[in-house]
Amino acid sequence: MWTSRARFFFLLPAVVWIFAFTLFPLGYSLYLAFYKVETRTEVTRIQEPLLDAAGEPVLRPDGTPRTRSVVSKEQRSIAEFVGLANFRRLWVDPQVHEAVRVTLLFVLMAVPTQLALGFLLALLFNQRIVARPVLRTAMLLPIFATPIAVAYLFFTIFYEAGGPLGWTGIPFLSDPFWALVSVAIVDVWQWTPFCFLVFLAALQGVPDELVEAARIDGASGLDILLRVLLPLLQPVVLIILLLRLAEALKLFDIPFALTGGGPGIATQSYSFLAFRTGLRFFDLGYASAMAYGLLIIVMLIVTFFFRRLRQSYG
Amino acid sequence: MAEAALPGTASAAPPAPRRLPSLAEALLSVLAVIATMIFLFPIYWALSQSLRDPIETFTVAGFGIPWIDFEPTLDNWRDQLAIPETRRALANSTVIATGASLLALLLGTPAAYALARFRFRLIPNRDLTVWFLSQRVLPPVATVVPFYLVMRTLGLLDTQLALVLLNATFILPFVVVIVRQTFLDLPRELEEAALVDGASFWGAFWRVALPLAMPSVAASGLIVFSFAWNDFILAITIASREAITVPMHMAGAVDTRGVQFWFMSVRAMIAMIPPVIVALLAQRYIVRGLTLGAVKG
Repeated sequence: MWTSRARFFFLLPAVVWIFAFTLFPLGYSLYLAFYKVETRTEVTRIQEPLLDAAGEPVLRPDGTPRTRSVVSKEQRSIAEFVGLANFRRLWVDPQVHEAVRVTLLFVLMAVPTQLALGFLLALLFNQRIVARPVLRTAMLLPIFATPIAVAYLFFTIFYEAGGPLGWTGIPFLSDPFWALVSVAIVDVWQWTPFCFLVFLAALQGVPDELVEAARIDGASGLDILLRVLLPLLQPVVLIILLLRLAEALKLFDIPFALTGGGPGIATQSYSFLAFRTGLRFFDLGYASAMAYGLLIIVMLIVTFFFRRLRQSYG
Repeated sequence: MAEAALPGTASAAPPAPRRLPSLAEALLSVLAVIATMIFLFPIYWALSQSLRDPIETFTVAGFGIPWIDFEPTLDNWRDQLAIPETRRALANSTVIATGASLLALLLGTPAAYALARFRFRLIPNRDLTVWFLSQRVLPPVATVVPFYLVMRTLGLLDTQLALVLLNATFILPFVVVIVRQTFLDLPRELEEAALVDGASFWGAFWRVALPLAMPSVAASGLIVFSFAWNDFILAITIASREAITVPMHMAGAVDTRGVQFWFMSVRAMIAMIPPVIVALLAQRYIVRGLTLGAVKG
């Protein structure tokens, strides 16, 4: 019964949609990656007959129609096949190296912190505490707060002259290293609650008897944590790690709003650089090559994890 | 018999819910409250700043508590909401996020149903699901250049339509994966009975399965609404004037006169309130949703 042809009728619209809006653009940008694309604005002037309100041509005294000049601007892209030149350039471009370094450093700072903090908070909230539902709900707010708004918000918090953290004397946004730390802090603020929430859900799924049994067998709190809870939570840790890694590598909104990539290019993430190259400097071919670099890395991570995760979608 | 009801006697009844917390629990509770307050502080700070007179931005003492540290005013809110651009951004974001969510539900729910119920032979269901899932981790920056060029060719730059289409693309996999899980959790016997009674597959889906799955379908609609609302990279790729969204409008708060914290705070609040409220409505589904169905909350 469930192998009827009708199944395609249900599935195909979504598949076709993704082909049209994801795979086609990806194919297109792969094609672009082999070209050097220059966008020029061409200005053309056309003489058009001038019409009056009734739509009749307005005539000069000598009987010829009056004209007006219409200026039209058109962006035209000129593409030249350059083979692998864009990819070679990607390999040696110091801006790209810096962006890769910045992105990786960011991931290394932000993702483990989120996981660790989220786990600690989940352990805390898993105890018998007062008003847990209310606090848990309050912890949800950062997850859905608009990232761009959050980043601007933190701009006011990190403001060095008179902001609420001004007393620390830390050059949050003006020092290259601290600026990246600040970007990571914003990400940690936004995504720790996510890790917390998922860990808490997983912890609450651990049967109490298991922990009780371990305790009766004389296991200490640390033993229970390391030998009972962590092994049980391992699949969840992997899922969170995968999702956060894939997201963190796309880092774009926070540096865009918080630091503008600065000071200098100290917080210019890879996505940010690719975006600037493509849609600010209109070096479309090179930007496409750059985007492919990121795509390949994300896909590698995803494939690596999906091997292990496929079971959960059986 | 009366003895059993006396306090302190053999505990036949479950532990009284209103007992006082122990010292350790009290300490842990305090810790939890402090942690929550730290995470809420930036949002609170935005609210506080948005209610201050601009000249008080940096002069307010302490934690900037309204009525205690300063006299709150709604002037910044009134000023911001009076700007036509703010209203346009709000209208655009509402239309775009709603349109994209509806479109994603329209395409995604039947696909989710297909993956949950039917058996595909050429490519097994599991691989199809993972394929949808892998779209979700796609970096948007990898597609913005072609999107820009395609929309330019179609003459759709700076239109709501383009942003509806593109946002729908990025939230579609989410809908498919989440709703699929819901259909899997429903007993298929109901639909099979309907099919035996002569219903079409569409009828079984539309009249039997979908109504049962509705809470989860609605919840995933709400969650993807927040995603689409929060999008920034697609918006700045496509929009420039007419189709600006709230996050883009937010980015315009930094102008040549410098950063105007009071306006920025109002705009940040305007941007954050809708997605946060909408997501809270779908609270029960958030864990499952954000882990793409891999963890059941």
